[in-house]
Amino acid sequence: MTDGVGVRALAAAVRTGQRSATEVTRAALAAVAAGNVAINAFTAVTQERALAAAAAVDAARAAGRDPGPLGGVPFGVKNLYDVAGLATIAGSRIDRDRPPARRDAALVRRLTDAGAVLLGTLNMDEYAYGFSTENTHYGATRNPHDLTRVAGGSSGGSAAAVAASFVPLALGSDTNGSIRVPAALTGVFGLRPTYGRLSRAGMRLFAASIDAGGPFARSVDDLAIAYDALQGPDSDDPGCATRSPEPALPELRHGLSGIRVAIAGGYFASQGVPEVFTAVERAAASLGVTQRVDLPAAGVARAAAMIVTSVEGAELHLADLIARAAEFDPMTRARFLAGALVPGAWYAHAQRFRRWFCREIIAVFRTVDVILAPVTPYPAFPIGQAWIELGGQKLPAAGHLGVFTQPLSFAGLPALSAPLAEPGPLPLGVQIVAAPWREDLVLRVAAAGEEIGILASPSPARRWDTRE
Amino acid sequence: MAEPSDPAKYVPLAAAAIGLLLAPEDLGGVISAFSVLARVAQPVMDFQLAEDVVAASIFTPDDGSTG
Repeated sequence: MTDGVGVRALAAAVRTGQRSATEVTRAALAAVAAGNVAINAFTAVTQERALAAAAAVDAARAAGRDPGPLGGVPFGVKNLYDVAGLATIAGSRIDRDRPPARRDAALVRRLTDAGAVLLGTLNMDEYAYGFSTENTHYGATRNPHDLTRVAGGSSGGSAAAVAASFVPLALGSDTNGSIRVPAALTGVFGLRPTYGRLSRAGMRLFAASIDAGGPFARSVDDLAIAYDALQGPDSDDPGCATRSPEPALPELRHGLSGIRVAIAGGYFASQGVPEVFTAVERAAASLGVTQRVDLPAAGVARAAAMIVTSVEGAELHLADLIARAAEFDPMTRARFLAGALVPGAWYAHAQRFRRWFCREIIAVFRTVDVILAPVTPYPAFPIGQAWIELGGQKLPAAGHLGVFTQPLSFAGLPALSAPLAEPGPLPLGVQIVAAPWREDLVLRVAAAGEEIGILASPSPARRWDTRE
Repeated sequence: MAEPSDPAKYVPLAAAAIGLLLAPEDLGGVISAFSVLARVAQPVMDFQLAEDVVAASIFTPDDGSTG
């Protein structure tokens, strides 16, 4: 295992020769072998490739070459990322029949180019249509903090692998909250960058007009190091902006000076259990934040996001829905089929509303720089629980998890899920949101929260590790 | 023609119209999922937008230079 050692420390240890990349990789592989049966985060382990990559890092160092900013750091990727030689299954049974990918996805290449060592691929909800990683084909991913509970989704395997310290870094994807929700429920940091910031080439998309890839890690430093390595334009993704990299790491510790931070009120202050609002209030109080701000029509934005998602997701899989619907996961099948039947006017109006909403949000960001909000309406629920009671309402337990994340990603905003250092029995996250392209501010506020001790990744007891 | 506001009628007809053969065991679940979408769509469709509010996507014709 990486023994909970983070990206920065591992890369430094490899760079200075304190540890070899091969030793680090072997330890991580052993941790996965010992613990994955209990957690079910990894769906494929690329052992041979990992050891070869680690040997190459060690050889580079021995020859006096730079092993890279992530030299020797093990990582995993949600199994919707192309990995050369593996079929990109995206949590499905259907895509097991696809030919193996011929090359790695762009973001995988960016990490390996920086010296990181790919350990394997990670579990998810089928085609990313879910918030709980309760996958019928590959089993549910279990929350390292309580193995009877969900890890969140759809990037649940990525979050759990980092929370369990199998790897210090993982990649996920986020359409409506699929990075932020599992990060919050497993107590790790997860960043959904601005729509268009990172390349999605080689990723199996879900709703292309909203999707974004992003990293998970157990500290803000580690998240920023990975984020900086992932940046850069890519003509292979038509949704990727032609912006040069804007490194966040150099400014990470510049503090809150000059940043106007506010708490999201209104829509973001109801529809959850009291603990999640207390978490935001505690983080805000520690950061000296008292201002409140309302985001107009956030509930309509969530609704519009659901319409857009259902239509784009169904269209992408329409041929399979027509030819082999029975092979879809029962957890997603009815929703995909229903999405195929949505009238075009609903979709077009939802996309037009999105434009209106974005303008309103930009107006809000003229008065504040960063907004704090809850990530999820409650902590992780037991695996298999279909419904939850909230304020006298019976709600779908997984579906309602996105209530606070969906409106923000619909506007394409960068948003970070940061874990509360002492949340109580189960992890809870705080969402840190900024105007488009201001990931630097989001990361700076998270770093400030980490520095004063209110935000940190809580360590689970490693009950799954048979070696301890 | 069935309206989306009556999912039990609309779903089987709309599915058939696009060649989507719903298995009998899936029908109830799809009607239920569509009912959720119909309910969700209501406030979106009720939200009045000026005609000049157009979708934000930008289409840039590819001249082939990017390969």
